[in-house]
Amino acid sequence: MLLSIVIFLPLLGVIAIALLRGFGATAVKGVALVIGLLTFVISLGLYTGFNADTATFQQVTLKPWIPGLGTSYHIGIDGISLWLVLLTTFLTPICILAAWNSIEKGLSGFMMSLLALETGMLGVFCSLDLFLFFVFWESMLIPMYFLIGIWGGERRIYATIKFVLYTMAGSALMLVGILALYFQNDNSFDLTTLSGPFEHSNLLFLAFFIAFAIKVPLFPFHTWLPDAHVEAPTVGSVILAGVLLKMGTYGIVRFCLPLFPDAADKYTPLIVTLAVIGIIYGALVAMVQPDLKKLVAYSSVSHLGFVVLGLFSKSSAGIQGSVLQMVNHGLSTGALFLLVGMIYERRHSRMIVDFGGLSKRMPIFAVFFMIVTLSSIGLPGLNGFVGEYMILLGSFVQGAFSKVHVVFATAGVILAAVYMLWMFQRVMFGTLDKTNEGLPDLNAREVVVLLPILLFIVWIGVYPKTFLSKIEKSVEVVVTKVQAEPSMGHLKNQGTQDSRFALRETQRTQHEKIEKEAQ
Amino acid sequence: MPIEINWQLLMPELVIALTLIIVLVFDLFDSISKTVLGWMTIIGAGIALWVSIQMHQAGTVGIQFNEMFKVDSFSLFFNIIFLVSTILVTLISMSYLDRGDRKQGPYYLLILLATLGMMLMAAGNELIIVFLGLELMSLSLYVLASYFRESPASSEAGMKYLLLGAFASAFFLYGIALIYGGAGTTSVPAIAEAITAENKSPLLLAGMFLLVVGFGFKVAIVPFHQWAPDVYEGAPTTIAAFISAGPKAAGFAAFLRIFMEALPTLQVEWSGVLILLAMLTMTVGNIIAISQTNIKRMLAYSSIAHAGYVLIGLAAANDDGISSAMLYLLVYCVMNIGAFGAVILARTEDGESLMISDYAGLGTRKPLLAMFMTVMLLSLAGFPPTAGFVGKFYIFKAAVGAGHIWLVIIGAINTAISAFYYLRVVVTMYMREPEEELEISPYASTLVVGLILAVVGVLLIGILPSLMLTPAQNSVF
Repeated sequence: MLLSIVIFLPLLGVIAIALLRGFGATAVKGVALVIGLLTFVISLGLYTGFNADTATFQQVTLKPWIPGLGTSYHIGIDGISLWLVLLTTFLTPICILAAWNSIEKGLSGFMMSLLALETGMLGVFCSLDLFLFFVFWESMLIPMYFLIGIWGGERRIYATIKFVLYTMAGSALMLVGILALYFQNDNSFDLTTLSGPFEHSNLLFLAFFIAFAIKVPLFPFHTWLPDAHVEAPTVGSVILAGVLLKMGTYGIVRFCLPLFPDAADKYTPLIVTLAVIGIIYGALVAMVQPDLKKLVAYSSVSHLGFVVLGLFSKSSAGIQGSVLQMVNHGLSTGALFLLVGMIYERRHSRMIVDFGGLSKRMPIFAVFFMIVTLSSIGLPGLNGFVGEYMILLGSFVQGAFSKVHVVFATAGVILAAVYMLWMFQRVMFGTLDKTNEGLPDLNAREVVVLLPILLFIVWIGVYPKTFLSKIEKSVEVVVTKVQAEPSMGHLKNQGTQDSRFALRETQRTQHEKIEKEAQ
Repeated sequence: MPIEINWQLLMPELVIALTLIIVLVFDLFDSISKTVLGWMTIIGAGIALWVSIQMHQAGTVGIQFNEMFKVDSFSLFFNIIFLVSTILVTLISMSYLDRGDRKQGPYYLLILLATLGMMLMAAGNELIIVFLGLELMSLSLYVLASYFRESPASSEAGMKYLLLGAFASAFFLYGIALIYGGAGTTSVPAIAEAITAENKSPLLLAGMFLLVVGFGFKVAIVPFHQWAPDVYEGAPTTIAAFISAGPKAAGFAAFLRIFMEALPTLQVEWSGVLILLAMLTMTVGNIIAISQTNIKRMLAYSSIAHAGYVLIGLAAANDDGISSAMLYLLVYCVMNIGAFGAVILARTEDGESLMISDYAGLGTRKPLLAMFMTVMLLSLAGFPPTAGFVGKFYIFKAAVGAGHIWLVIIGAINTAISAFYYLRVVVTMYMREPEEELEISPYASTLVVGLILAVVGVLLIGILPSLMLTPAQNSVF
């Protein structure tokens, strides 16, 4: 019930704003912010009520929805989705606050899109029914389409259509995959009862993986991302980088790896190679970008390459690192986009050459920018380091793919330092341009927007155990499923086999229990 | 031998026939406002709809008139589709006609006649009855398409529709003759009995393919679709909405009845053809729709593409396939009439704004109109949480269940293609600035009511699909 409230409260906000649109901008913003904050506060209940000792889904609701189609309203969270849910509810009020003064036209529409988007994203992370998952996955496209298309920059229409078509092309194949799974799962879309091996698992894997790879985006499916980011309004970029991209990596760890371990194994060399190319390529392209926003956008391609690498390391450390890194990237890149947006609002330019010496005029801004930059690079003590380190460690030790990949990926870390620090240097140091002399420093609202993010950046960096301890058990499940596939003869291990079956049994009994309760 | 008539079974048809007579009589009095005729049509169709729903829920089954007329949940479900379409079309027509000195009486009369024809088609247990219904429907539509006789485009549309429709009817009739030659009967159950696995005479096959051609014309399947865009563009917009909805559903009703019930033994022969036609229809319809600049033509090609989706259900040829096709037709009728209704809403003093570029800026200037249009287009494109998504999903599911994975892949890719041109209209409305401000006429209340009903229907079926899904699943013959 708690989870349903968290998911649908923003939708209630959409309706409230629709009814309130005549009452002026402040009312609309106020309602949006209150709903956003309320959703976050309620979602904290998910954290406090979370039992880290079990890998089964928690806060489960199972209600029949469309019996004629074999679907049910089945939601729940585990350690993997918990943090993504919290990230979403955390970033949304921040975005609402960040957009406080920057939206001139259609404010109520903007806030409605933002809140509708939140419901869609939360639904994706919580769905335990493939049909429900697909419904949320597709329905979240519409508000994002409006966010970029109406409130975006010059080439917003091109960017928004490209974004929608890329995603739809991917999800078309995923739809076929979902249907094919349905008939292999005793005519049910229930994720918790799905257990392989499946027929045509290679094709099914690809049907899902391509949809997710487009969303991540994995090289070479990334070309929509820079356009979407550059044209999107600041808040759109924050949500896009912060949460939407995570839907792809979440899909991989939730569906691709545990459901089709055989196929995942088969395609690992290819996928990991693409991920490493993405890391290096994204970093190199980011390095030469004259536009701050485009630079951050390409850095996302690079960072998400790490996440994919960690997931396909099939090691506990690697996958945990990846899940944590999803959150990290959401925080750091979200903050970077917010900072770029703040400077853009002042100067109406995002070109690096237009800046220089800003640290003298805007010391507070410079401090925030510095911390976030370092977090993005992966400085020890800040969040990025923990995730990247675990990913690289897991990849190196587990040996799911050749160590050459890991070596190249590690080079990506260095490149990240190059493009981020170089950018920082060009923007913050050097001579101050005359036109920039009048730029005011951050105001109180902007500091309030950034501070919470910084808090978590440091928290995760210093004491990641708070976060990892919740993730651990759920990742174990994925790891056992992915490693204990019979075809991998050399890894076949009676112990893991047994635990895998035991696990499936407990899940099944729990599922039956819930079904009985629902009846 | 006296024929015993169970009048109760014929209630929906009788109500429509009675309404027809009342409208005809009242049209004679000049003192009566002509919008009253519209309301009479709506009330008559509403009663018939209520009766059909009651009969459907009660599971009424019966055969009448020497086994020529079959009332079952299948025909009753289609009655619901037809009557919903008729009511919606009448609602969007009332303000559209109320201008100048157009005669309104015959318009409602013809709509009711066409509806009666559709109901006959769905209930026909005999090829001759199906043909009778088809002709009753088609002849009414020919007149309706050219109803604005002062407009050359409308006359041209009517003439084109008449000529090509007559060809289609001829094909259809020839097909019936050949099937009679092969099976020795025109009764649906008797044909099914006469055809055995060993006895597949070439006459039957030829007749079957001619039926495909005939139906293909009527429901606008590629390559028999050429008439559709011209007719839709030229005909009055309300009639374009009507032709694209009810008659298409009626064509598919007879298609389903004849192929699933009379010719199941020939499934090996026809399923391959239907798969091919489905792929062609979807792909051609969607790709040509991309290049359209006139919204009526765009909707025409989109409706061709949607016939392709329904064909997927037919090609699946299992219970799920039949009920998914039925559900989809219901959903499609509501959303397509809604889309045409939004086009009518966007009219100016000098006529309708038919170019997509005219819609620029409507999102901020006419939020209600833009919202109606957006919901309908998103539903046509198959985005959740609209009915279009559920309908398409169910069709795809049925086809995957029947093993036609490739057909579904092509259908899914087509969905992505179609999103492009549907969203382009949304882009124009919300994201482009208008070159010149259009003076949109004030909204007519009946039109707005019709659109609200369509929006509510689309969202309701989208969020709680069981409301219509369960009835559809209970309606398979």
